[in-house]
Amino acid sequence: MLEWSSAGPAVGAAFLASIVEVVEAFTIVLVVATLRGWKPAVLGTGAAVFVLAAIVVILGPLLDQVPMHLLQVVIGVLLLLFGIGWLRKASLRAGGVIPLHDEDAVFARETIELRTQVKRHRSSQDWIAGIAAFKAVLLEGLEVIFIVIAVGSGREVLWAASLGALAACVLVLVVGAIAHRPLARVPENTLKFGIGVMLSAFGVFWTGEGLGVDWPGHDLALFVFAAVFLVAGLMAARMVRQPIKKAAS
Amino acid sequence: MNILKDVLSELFSMFVADARLTMAILLIVVITAFMIRSTNLSPLIGGLFLLLGCIAVLFFSVSREATRRLHDSRH
Repeated sequence: MLEWSSAGPAVGAAFLASIVEVVEAFTIVLVVATLRGWKPAVLGTGAAVFVLAAIVVILGPLLDQVPMHLLQVVIGVLLLLFGIGWLRKASLRAGGVIPLHDEDAVFARETIELRTQVKRHRSSQDWIAGIAAFKAVLLEGLEVIFIVIAVGSGREVLWAASLGALAACVLVLVVGAIAHRPLARVPENTLKFGIGVMLSAFGVFWTGEGLGVDWPGHDLALFVFAAVFLVAGLMAARMVRQPIKKAAS
Repeated sequence: MNILKDVLSELFSMFVADARLTMAILLIVVITAFMIRSTNLSPLIGGLFLLLGCIAVLFFSVSREATRRLHDSRH
């Protein structure tokens, strides 16, 4: 029986994080399709999905061999590194220290870059474009796989987390196919802030549990940690916004 | 080979976006593990140290980066 207090946060984190990653991959695939047509874009994407599936099939069963406490500590520490890194960047963006992520700007930049590369290799233009799509989908896909494993394996809700990620992929592809342009309206910066909060909360939870902490409230402690990280992230953004305002005036 | 290199470097940067941040988080985890495994303190105190330590690392890291960028923009 699926416990929603365990599966809910995992599904939510996997869904939201996957939306961000798939939107980023979609932008590059769209650049390839716009410049060289859908054939290299689809071939590159298909090859990357195949490699990702092979990684899951080969490495997935190995997870069952790792003792649960060790798995929780390793994944928890990786989540802390990944999650706090995201939250740090999101706070800096929210505080105006670094520019906000703009999918339209990424699309324009990648278009120029791919156009330059294609011009340089006149004999293998589709190949270069296909490789660009392959790399983008592979790299963003690896992040999705890590997040799904990280939020799902500690409580054995891997399937639920995978469904969350799959739902995000389907949603982005459907909206992307209809819009046929970079999905710049997706509130990526806000989503990244939220994902940083959730991954950091999972990181503290799994690391502590793996080291032997019996958190009060068990899985519900995740919500408390998320609230603490959310407040901390917002306060950090506010803290750095003040000096910048003073410097500007 | 280029693709493999890019993938590995991307994976590395996923977890080591900032070397000081990474080292600080690892240090907090090591101290937490020591508190829980090698002292008589309640594991929950170790857990709270982990949570508060991570929050402190976040604040220091954000503040340091903002100061560095502000300093760079002035010179």
